[in-house]
Amino acid sequence: MSYEVAILSLIVFLPSLGALGLLLVPRDKVEAIRLITLAVTLAVFALTVYVAIPADDGEASIRFEMGQAAMQNVFNIPWIPSFNIYYFMGMDGISFPLVILTTFLSVLSFWASWSVKTQVKGFCILFLLLETGMLGVFLALDFFLFYIFWEVMLLPMYFLIGVWGGPRREYAAIKFFLYTLLGSVFMLIAILMLYFASDLRQLDEPQLAAAHVANVDEVLTAKQAAAEGAEMHTFNLLALMQMGQHTDLFDAPLLFGYSLQWWAFLLLFIGFVIKVPVVPLHTWLPDAHVEAPTPISMILAGVLLKMGGYGIIRICYPICPDAGFDLAYLVCGIGVLSMVYGAFAAMAQTDFKRLVAYSSVSHMGYVVLGLGVWSAWAPTNFDWRYWSMGVNGAMFQMIGHGVSSAGMFFMVGVIYDRVHHRNLNEFGGLFRRMPLYAGLAVPIFFAGLGLPGLCGFIGEVFVTLSVWNYSHVLAVIAASVVILTAGYILWAIQRVYLGPEYKGPHGDALTPITLREQAIAWPLIVFAILFGVYPRCVFDYMTPTINAQVQELAEWTRDVKTPRLAAEKAAEEAAAAKSADQDRPSRPVAEKQDGTVGQLSLVAPTDTGAPAATPAARAVSAERAAPLALARAVD
Amino acid sequence: MDANTIIPILLGAAWLLPLASFVTIVLAGPRMGKAGSAAAGVATSAILIGFVLSATSLMIWLVANPLPEPHHPGGHHEAEHHDAEHDIPAGEHATGNGSTPFHAVAFLADDSADPSDDAHADADGAEAGHQNDAGDHAAAEAYTAPTPIVGTWYSLGEFGSLRIDIGYYIDTLTVVMFTMVTLIASCIHFYAIGYMHDELHDYTDPLAPTADGQPLHRPGRFHRFFQYLSLFCFSMLGLVYAGNIAMVFVFWELVGICSYFLIGFYFERHSASTAANKAFIVNRVGDFGFIIGLMALWASLGTFAFGDQVVDGQTQPGIFSLVRPADHSHKLIVPAGMVTAAAADEINEAVLSAPPTEAAASAQPSAAAIDQWRSEGYGYWLLVIAGLGVFCGCVGKSAQFPLHVWLPDAMEGPTPVSALVHSATMVAAGVYLVGRFYPVFTPEVLLVITYVGAVTLFIAATIAITATDIKRVLAYSTVSQLGYMMLALGVGGWVAGMFHLVTHAFFKSLLFMCSGSVIHACHTNEMTEMGGLRKKMPWTAYTMLVGCLAIIGAAIPFVVGFSGYYSKDSIVAQSLLFWQANPSHPWPFYAAAGGAAITAFYMFRLWFMTFAGEPRNHHVYEHAHESPKVMYMPLVVLAVFATIVAWPVPLTNLSLNNMLEQARPTGMLPGDGEVWSGVLMDNLVIPNELLSHELDIHVPATLIASGTAMLGLLLAVAFYGVGALDPNEVRQRFKLIYWWLWNKWMFDELYDAVFVRPVHFVSRTIANIDRTLIDGLINNLALGVRRIADIDGLIDKYVVDGLVNRTASCIYSSGLAPRRVQNGRLQTYVVWIVAGTAAIFVLSEYLGWLSWGLGITTAFK
Repeated sequence: MSYEVAILSLIVFLPSLGALGLLLVPRDKVEAIRLITLAVTLAVFALTVYVAIPADDGEASIRFEMGQAAMQNVFNIPWIPSFNIYYFMGMDGISFPLVILTTFLSVLSFWASWSVKTQVKGFCILFLLLETGMLGVFLALDFFLFYIFWEVMLLPMYFLIGVWGGPRREYAAIKFFLYTLLGSVFMLIAILMLYFASDLRQLDEPQLAAAHVANVDEVLTAKQAAAEGAEMHTFNLLALMQMGQHTDLFDAPLLFGYSLQWWAFLLLFIGFVIKVPVVPLHTWLPDAHVEAPTPISMILAGVLLKMGGYGIIRICYPICPDAGFDLAYLVCGIGVLSMVYGAFAAMAQTDFKRLVAYSSVSHMGYVVLGLGVWSAWAPTNFDWRYWSMGVNGAMFQMIGHGVSSAGMFFMVGVIYDRVHHRNLNEFGGLFRRMPLYAGLAVPIFFAGLGLPGLCGFIGEVFVTLSVWNYSHVLAVIAASVVILTAGYILWAIQRVYLGPEYKGPHGDALTPITLREQAIAWPLIVFAILFGVYPRCVFDYMTPTINAQVQELAEWTRDVKTPRLAAEKAAEEAAAAKSADQDRPSRPVAEKQDGTVGQLSLVAPTDTGAPAATPAARAVSAERAAPLALARAVD
Repeated sequence: MDANTIIPILLGAAWLLPLASFVTIVLAGPRMGKAGSAAAGVATSAILIGFVLSATSLMIWLVANPLPEPHHPGGHHEAEHHDAEHDIPAGEHATGNGSTPFHAVAFLADDSADPSDDAHADADGAEAGHQNDAGDHAAAEAYTAPTPIVGTWYSLGEFGSLRIDIGYYIDTLTVVMFTMVTLIASCIHFYAIGYMHDELHDYTDPLAPTADGQPLHRPGRFHRFFQYLSLFCFSMLGLVYAGNIAMVFVFWELVGICSYFLIGFYFERHSASTAANKAFIVNRVGDFGFIIGLMALWASLGTFAFGDQVVDGQTQPGIFSLVRPADHSHKLIVPAGMVTAAAADEINEAVLSAPPTEAAASAQPSAAAIDQWRSEGYGYWLLVIAGLGVFCGCVGKSAQFPLHVWLPDAMEGPTPVSALVHSATMVAAGVYLVGRFYPVFTPEVLLVITYVGAVTLFIAATIAITATDIKRVLAYSTVSQLGYMMLALGVGGWVAGMFHLVTHAFFKSLLFMCSGSVIHACHTNEMTEMGGLRKKMPWTAYTMLVGCLAIIGAAIPFVVGFSGYYSKDSIVAQSLLFWQANPSHPWPFYAAAGGAAITAFYMFRLWFMTFAGEPRNHHVYEHAHESPKVMYMPLVVLAVFATIVAWPVPLTNLSLNNMLEQARPTGMLPGDGEVWSGVLMDNLVIPNELLSHELDIHVPATLIASGTAMLGLLLAVAFYGVGALDPNEVRQRFKLIYWWLWNKWMFDELYDAVFVRPVHFVSRTIANIDRTLIDGLINNLALGVRRIADIDGLIDKYVVDGLVNRTASCIYSSGLAPRRVQNGRLQTYVVWIVAGTAAIFVLSEYLGWLSWGLGITTAFK
């Protein structure tokens, strides 16, 4: 227990401690400040790598156990007990790969920050705070804690863009800040909605245990008492998932006939996809990228965008499955729209960095699409495998895009540092002028293009392949993006790297790539190739968790949602039959009947098909609990 | 070790060696001798060892799996038993088809009833495993296609039972392709050592002018060339080695990117980088279709593997067994997965209509329901989409109409690349994949393949007539020949198509290398600058003559001929058979036969213009010279192969044709009394390929093919050999046609107008929407908020604060006023005292009056 608290807290807060320590260092000792910061990021990276290395058999340690689906290294300590807020963290196959990606990219992008010359101390402190925020988001399991970290990460980013950015930095920083804040507000509303709808007493003992609820005994006592109005609200994400899937706490109608979880899903989804970003909420991204200094672009594209995807898979779907099922087409449609729109927009850019930024919009569209393809439904006999493939592909795409987009931004930064412009039409001939640099850049761009053998391919293809079972139309449109992607990447390469000679200003400054820059580029390339050739090295970490989550949702679809849909359909048909009866002479009676039926079907129907929703759900949860209870009995 | 263990290892090594070479050159290239000259040695030895390993595998394979009895070309005489009874009225079997996919029509009844027909019985029986009644037929000792060697290296991802693997599927076709690719690649590596020697020192590139108009000087990059070549060989061999269609796609893309690098080798030239982009993007258009095909397969079958795999002790059927199960006599059947996928709506309806308690349980349709749906044609279109999708990829890769436009431009690459990548191997990968995936294609798809092939072969051949760039003529010729192969596969000639693939690889790489030798000598691609070169470069001229004779299929009919004779002959024969079986489809035959004439014409036009006659440009002629030995020796090797590769080895049954007969996937010949026809087009019949060896098909086909070729050859001689006809005059007379052909049927212009420009327009529009609409909205929103804030500020300032300030100032000023009084002057005070006293008196009087008055009013009340 204490191990977990120590290591996870260290991972999250070591950067902040480093930032505190930096306060003691005089501001003119620039080199020392940089080295300390680099050392801190390296230390955090080393910690996560330590956790990632598989443990020996049977040894109980904080090392990440591959093949285990559940949360690992969990601890749950009261923080603000009066509001049921806990210091609750843990890692599983969904969050841990992103944690490693974050620490890895933090090291590389900080190393790329040597080009930042002004106010280095402030930059380093903010950078470290940013890292704490990012890691906290991925590790937090308490919704409130999650929200805090989400906001913590926002502020340093604002200053990093706004102070160290390009000419329009204030505009970009404000735009970034307001967009994200808007999302945060939506998220906060949803958090409170879910909090006040939640009730731990609805969960049975195994479910509480699975959710790592700290005060189980208290809950059980309250359950016995079964007092009215004494709901036990919670921010526990895992408990909220259990409630979303096994109880009807979030099914109450809220507004315009839509349930609470429908609205919660929508609010959370908007909050998260602003971060992803998706069209049409994406315009902060190109501006932020163009103005941000290179290392911040790397972090922004490499890590920050992933938080949106992470939120969707971690929070939206498991907590609000019913809404997720109903809105799946919207989610997928938005994903496909982003893919196409981003690719087209990228093609028209003349600013190199803007092009890469739009390519991020397009690539992150795959993530949203992959997460959304709820193909585990009746027509496929609730086959969870294809959806799981989509979610796995989306998660892989997040990792792969983290590597390739960070690499692309870095490669743009390398030449920007030299010639101080990014106009695609004023490059050319870099292959000849800077052969090593170009040789390193081209594989990275091909990774972005989705070339097999590099990291971009796996995610894109897995996502695309998984869509067909959900919607043929979306699948075909998604597949067509490969043409556009090839178009904009190849045209960019042609304009920048090929051709006889450099066409822009400051040609003399095109010095060969330095050793430091190479040292940043090589790891990215190595991982791009490794992930492309042997993607199992990522999948082995994430697949068990994702499979388990998707399987649970597939079972939920089969056991809860399908009877619900059948009941709705039966009710609709009954209503239609009744309204057909209206034409008959005995009007008053019919009207009366009609009224009753209408009322019934508006709320969860209880009469006609209604054993449907609630009791069935309960039965399911009881049934599911049975083996666990048995296991306990045996113990 | 038995063959099944050792062959995958040998081929795997042959596959990975070029990768090792690639990595070595990438990391150590510039340090490998002067300008990386040692890189050539590394790459060449890698591929040479690869060839040795492949050839060894071929031998081991043939020992382990003896070949069947020969049919062709050594077996013509066997057909003599047969007479005209095979001349079945074509309409007979084109009628009366029911709605079931595979119905038996007495098509081959006569044939199979003939007990003397041993040659066919062997193969027919082999392919049609349903012939259980062995005693009835000589098929008792039927040969079955050898079981492919299937295995898995590792999986890219596993989701439940879904898995995408890196593995292998090795059958005769794989081994033959490995040997062919490594052999040709070895020859080309040697040749390239000579051809690329310019790159060993600083290179002046006149085609890449710098801003001041001077030709560009740059250091040579000899090693880069061999680096890409090695990567290409690795990718190409991986494509052939692949055990599943997804892995094929992976290497499919990789050969594409190698092609991109190699076309763009002279990346300083704008034309080269544009051509490279065009090649990749056009291929991606094809791959778009490929992905759709993959999705249709994956979503309904849950596997990409070609062959059956054993996973965790259980046999998982591959695509081929799912589509053509052994217990269904290897006949095409719509797999259950596709049926249920197509019936998704019905299942959904059933589930939702069921009582809620049983809803979930009813999602699994019964076997009877699946059979019912299948008989109603459910899922068949998925099979068609899968086939068409995969074929789409092949259209891109093999430069078939309408995606053929990239290949001629790809000639921007160095000539060894054109020989290896863009004629012999990569572009043939599309044909290879059609052959590999043949069991999945429905008759409808095959018809599409036929017509795409026919149209391609015709269009490309006509363009080749007017082209004057020696490499472009060959490029169009390649497109046209690939069209032949597609056509052959489409009309049911699996062996014919693959046969032509192999023979074409030899003679076309030979032709390209010869043209490279000429370009090397003349420093120009234009045939209008050449002429009479055979005196200067006899090795090149006569090896190229061999190549030309091979491609036109020159032969003494029925006796002996160049390799192209055998393969083209079987294509023409099969298309004739197809016409017979489908009277409404004569065009494939016309295209094949007419194409033979055009091929002969443009090939000999090329040869005569280059090597015969008088030099057109004396400067060029003076400087021309024969290429070094390292270049022309590979030409000789390939010339020998181009001549004899189709010949049977004397005294054995070893021949290329026979190997391909063995390679034919199981179930790929309609069995006795069985006709393949489509469901969507039920009067379409895919004829049995073995029937094309019958005399009544074979003899006319041979005569027609040879006759048309001879016609084309004579025309070429008349125009360019002896000068009996004047090409200029003809050009004048048919100006419009000439213009049309010279402009390549306007495809580039058409695509530019229809696709490229609209895409750019859309992308600009979208970028504008972003900038003006969305950002405009956001900015205006922000501006609006600020305006509101400003107004709020003004209200605050003037209304709220104004009120407060006004109040304050009132109070203040009311405080100020009395201050005046306190001015410290005694006189004033005295005045005030007096005035005050007076006022008191007055007031008290007045008030008294007032109070009196008040008192009155009160009193009145």
